[in-house]
Amino acid sequence: MDIKDAHQAREHPTYHQALVRWITQLADDELTLGHRDSEWLGLCPDIEGDVAFSSIAQDEVGHAAFYFELLHELGEPDPDRLAFARKSHERRNAKLVEQENGDWAYSILRHTLYDIFDGIRLEAMRQSSYLPLRHGVAKIQREEAYHLLHMKTWVVRMGKAGGEARQYLEEAAVRLWPQLDDLFSFGDADEETLLRFGIIAFGSAECQKRWEEQVKVVFGQAGLLWPGEIPLSGRDGRLGQHDPALAQLLKTMTEVYRLDPVARW
Amino acid sequence: MTEKMEYGVFEVFVQRTHLDHHVHVGNLLAPSADVAAQMARENFLRREKVVSLWVVPRDQITAVSEHGEWLGRELDRSYREVSGYTENGRLWRMFKEKALTLEEIVAYVERRSEGGRRNGHQRRPSGS
Amino acid sequence: MQEQDYCSFMERIERGEKIEATEWMPDEYRKLLVKLIHMHAVSEIMGAYPEKEWVPKAPSLRRKLAIMAKVQDEMGHGQLLLRVAEDLCAPWGKTREELISDIYRQRVKFHNVFHMEARTWADAGVIGWLVDGAAIINQAALLETSYAPYARVLKRICAEESFHMQHGENIILALAMGTEAQREMLQEAVNYWWESLLFFFGPKEVTPAAERMLHYRIRIKTNEELRQKFLDKYVPRIWSLGLTVPDPQLRYDETEKCWRYSEPDWEKFGRIVRDCMGPKSQERMALRRRAHEGQLWVREAMIRSRALMHAV
Repeated sequence: MDIKDAHQAREHPTYHQALVRWITQLADDELTLGHRDSEWLGLCPDIEGDVAFSSIAQDEVGHAAFYFELLHELGEPDPDRLAFARKSHERRNAKLVEQENGDWAYSILRHTLYDIFDGIRLEAMRQSSYLPLRHGVAKIQREEAYHLLHMKTWVVRMGKAGGEARQYLEEAAVRLWPQLDDLFSFGDADEETLLRFGIIAFGSAECQKRWEEQVKVVFGQAGLLWPGEIPLSGRDGRLGQHDPALAQLLKTMTEVYRLDPVARW
Repeated sequence: MTEKMEYGVFEVFVQRTHLDHHVHVGNLLAPSADVAAQMARENFLRREKVVSLWVVPRDQITAVSEHGEWLGRELDRSYREVSGYTENGRLWRMFKEKALTLEEIVAYVERRSEGGRRNGHQRRPSGS
Repeated sequence: MQEQDYCSFMERIERGEKIEATEWMPDEYRKLLVKLIHMHAVSEIMGAYPEKEWVPKAPSLRRKLAIMAKVQDEMGHGQLLLRVAEDLCAPWGKTREELISDIYRQRVKFHNVFHMEARTWADAGVIGWLVDGAAIINQAALLETSYAPYARVLKRICAEESFHMQHGENIILALAMGTEAQREMLQEAVNYWWESLLFFFGPKEVTPAAERMLHYRIRIKTNEELRQKFLDKYVPRIWSLGLTVPDPQLRYDETEKCWRYSEPDWEKFGRIVRDCMGPKSQERMALRRRAHEGQLWVREAMIRSRALMHAV
């Protein structure tokens, strides 16, 4: 059964709770990665690429704004409060997106790994029972397809080029692998409920399986060594268990906001 | 001699509607044609909607002159449009001023007569 | 032969015709264009840094998106202008690599304002409003330049600046209508940037190089004409917000029909722009060096892969 708007969603408490928790993960992933991406402004390897990367940063923050708006309609605080006023332990992003940018190889490989995951997650929501989400997802999918193309281009080219570029990518992969596990966790958004109510079409195990298939193709094209099983870190960003990098990010991001949270800036 | 490591120049052409020809909008440096196409999307098409995009390696163009599926921008982008800031006019009126427009600046700067202030300017510095 | 070329070139200039990159031009014309456009390009790129520092701190989602878009546009303008300069430099074998490394080797100047520190959110707002305002006046005056490729990119740049104007105004209007602390922050920012804004247009006297640019109609207006136009458009607006300008001498002279202001310290200006001794000059040049030199390996890998991709 389709749920046509927030009003109807709020009539079903179990549905409502799972939906809010799920969308919070989407919003936090996109905001955090968009913020990290924006730190590359003025620092990319070439000027044309600098401009291109900024559009991706804006897209990610734009998607976050869309998801925060959905949450607000569902009874959560307004989008700016959700984005700026919550503490680290209240955030539900995966640990992957909160890490510092590192070098170009790390940034583009991380983005590729995230974009592949996000593409699969969007696919899982394409026929979502929550119609406002389904409609947004159709638009976001078209933007994310470009991100993935762009990021894969960098990774495959740099991998193929060999030399230090491939070496840095492989070093990045080694750093990234232990940061990946909670990407596939649905945390406190109950997976069984999400599936039962058709908010998503398939679960986290399927996401991870598809992700590995797709990532292996990219690694193959780029000539990169497959790092193997994803190690378990024992910490789940989707449950608010974050690295110090997130607290640092939030300290910067909310510096002006915190001067006066009720003022209009 | 080793080849100098340089990006190539790509000319960028866009077609605004199917009724228009492709028009030249500029050029950029890139390592290869397909990367140039991705770069051109951001360097030249951040606001415009177009139906098609070409990049052409400059050395593939023979010039004759008088003298010799990922183009979509889906979500709201009013934050980067003039139309996203219509409240400025209202806010300036609260300060008894009006919003500046680019057209006004260009017309004013290009005006031939030099030095003088615009006619009918109500505000005088001595009065404030 | 040269002399004949020169005469017919100057006749075209005087008739108001535009010159294309592929056409014959006097060496002096080319050199003056490169000097001007290289500096303009580099100012856009270095101009991204003061605001970039506030991109991660923008206080709402909308401000975050808008300031990202704005700084991105500055980089985009740098890209447009660099391409014009690169085509002009091509006969000398000078390319992007060198035009960028010139920045941190102090072989090209950039605008004084981008050597300064952006200390607060209000500073970022004042950069968006007044520094951009000054830049827009400068660029609008160049729209009539005799060099066609420059005129074409300036047209695009000015069109994008119309969003920058609204963005800058929107930030300062919010602060001006805000709390006492926000208004104080705004006034403090105006005080801090005022001298830089006067510097922005350059010295009053017409230097020999500026004289030659006017001769070739590369520029049409003098520094002082443009400074007057800036003061004319912006001082009344600053006052209307209830803000003050930190210059007791500033007034409009009704008889002379021009603005009177205290001469800024031009020696200080020289130390900032020529010697790169501004508070943030060295730090930002180091950032540019890191981005450019430190990531040569990325650009080289992308070039190497070009051959490999074709081989598949």
